[in-house]
Amino acid sequence: MTDQASILIIDENRARAAIIQEGLREAGHLNVRWLNETGNLLRRIVEIDPEVIIIDLESPNRDVLEQMFQVSRLVKRPVAMFVDQSDSEAMHDAMVAGVSAYVVDGLRKERVKHIFDMCILRFNVFSRLQEELHEAKTALADRKVIERAKGILMAAKSLSEQEAYVLMRKTAMDQKRRLAEIAQAIVTAEGMLK
Amino acid sequence: MKNIRVGFIPLIDAAIPIAARECGFAEREGLDVALVKETSWANIRDKLVHDLFDASHMLAPLAVATSLGIGNAKVPLAVPFGLNANGNCITLASGLYRALEEVLGHRPENPRQSAQALKRVIDKRKAAGGQPVTFGIVFPFSVHAIIVRHWLRLGGIDPHNDVLFQVVPPPFMVASLAEGVIEGCCVGEPWNSRAVESGVGSIAVFGAEISRSAPDKVLALRDEIAAKDPDTIHRLLRSYKSAARWCQERGNHGNLAHMLAQPQYLGVAPKTVLNALSGTLAVNRTETRAMDDFLVFEGDEINRPDPRKARWLYAEIASGLRQPLDEAQAQAASAVFRTDMFDAATGNNAPHEAPDPIGLKFGPAFDAWDLPAYVSALER
Repeated sequence: MTDQASILIIDENRARAAIIQEGLREAGHLNVRWLNETGNLLRRIVEIDPEVIIIDLESPNRDVLEQMFQVSRLVKRPVAMFVDQSDSEAMHDAMVAGVSAYVVDGLRKERVKHIFDMCILRFNVFSRLQEELHEAKTALADRKVIERAKGILMAAKSLSEQEAYVLMRKTAMDQKRRLAEIAQAIVTAEGMLK
Repeated sequence: MKNIRVGFIPLIDAAIPIAARECGFAEREGLDVALVKETSWANIRDKLVHDLFDASHMLAPLAVATSLGIGNAKVPLAVPFGLNANGNCITLASGLYRALEEVLGHRPENPRQSAQALKRVIDKRKAAGGQPVTFGIVFPFSVHAIIVRHWLRLGGIDPHNDVLFQVVPPPFMVASLAEGVIEGCCVGEPWNSRAVESGVGSIAVFGAEISRSAPDKVLALRDEIAAKDPDTIHRLLRSYKSAARWCQERGNHGNLAHMLAQPQYLGVAPKTVLNALSGTLAVNRTETRAMDDFLVFEGDEINRPDPRKARWLYAEIASGLRQPLDEAQAQAASAVFRTDMFDAATGNNAPHEAPDPIGLKFGPAFDAWDLPAYVSALER
């Protein structure tokens, strides 16, 4: 028996799906496909006929998968949610990470557990990457507005670059606000006074 | 202040949990409620089960199914409050609706007539070797599925053999109708109105035309929370009772529509919400229909979780799955609906108990204490 469970990832986020797919490949699972279908999902799943389905919790399509729990004329084999009763902490972690898994009847638990744990890990990696990206973008935007505010102060009050920066930082500390907020206020005010 | 987390799906029938927070009813009871928006009923169930929510807005049949272990792992839930009755419609794709008009020679005038017309269309199609009609429902265990089955039977259509059912998340319903993936659906607002506005479908039936007080959404919580901290739950229920009265009041509907329409809740136009609240909907390109009890939030009959309703839900779930009835399961179902918690919280000593808790407008009379007779009459 080959250890290649066929895995289907349902995720509208292409980047996250790629990260999960990569993780699974590195772990030796090569039979992985990705769908971001919103329309006729059930028919596509029946066509692909996967053994394991990984789905992100943001997808309303989770409810479509619920239908496959029952003997339905639409599906070939019964599907169950992957719940490891012995490990409710892992399920809790999965919920927090934002992922859920479904498996066809008869698949060995340990095999699925391994796949599922990998997906939880990768979901968390993706969240962290997104946070870092968000922070980097904010930092870049902050730097731009601080530069502009510095220029405005230098021109209006004939200050050196260093003096303009110190003035803004002191104001920020006095008012217990972020430097970027003070800078934004200067830029906004200048726009209105122009 | 006691912090609690309540899950909800962005639907008009989440009005009571939202108003309880927004109008300060919960705060007055010393509760700081965080409302958490979700995208699927499966998420709602799993987050409730895995302790990420203290309580949640939930499909009434899902609360019963989860408690009985039907369709998923068995986790006992408690339902101490009903959030609404009605509010759903059966909408048909324009092509199918036209076929109904053609066999009748006019527009269908009532649910029986439309179902009988559909039966003739289905028979014709079968004879010609055509595809069966597929109905979109929001979840396998939903009052939506039950309503469609009741309507189909009015026309002599066998829901198990003559049509197909497919779960379609409400946001995908209109597109699925347009693409022909489904030819009919049962869903809450604003999705029926969206189908009418975009010319994709016509509303054939209001859910309120099928039953008067079938439970639609309820408040559900894990049994152990109910046992561990009854005081907090009582306070929540009192705030919901106040919110229910406020939501029902016509004079508040303008405010309620704006409240629900906000991006953190439904994120739709206030006008759309208002139409559903007032029960006045454009049902096709030229006609508007109004029903006073299109969507109901308040009253003992709605809010008090009558165990007979849970027995009805169980009977309907079993019938839908073509499973034999089991009285032990029926009793387990009725134990899910907690009138004791509702009465204790609200000081309700003399509840109004309607002789018929469901108020079916067609079909067999419902007797909660003789489910086999009800189901066999239903399936005849």
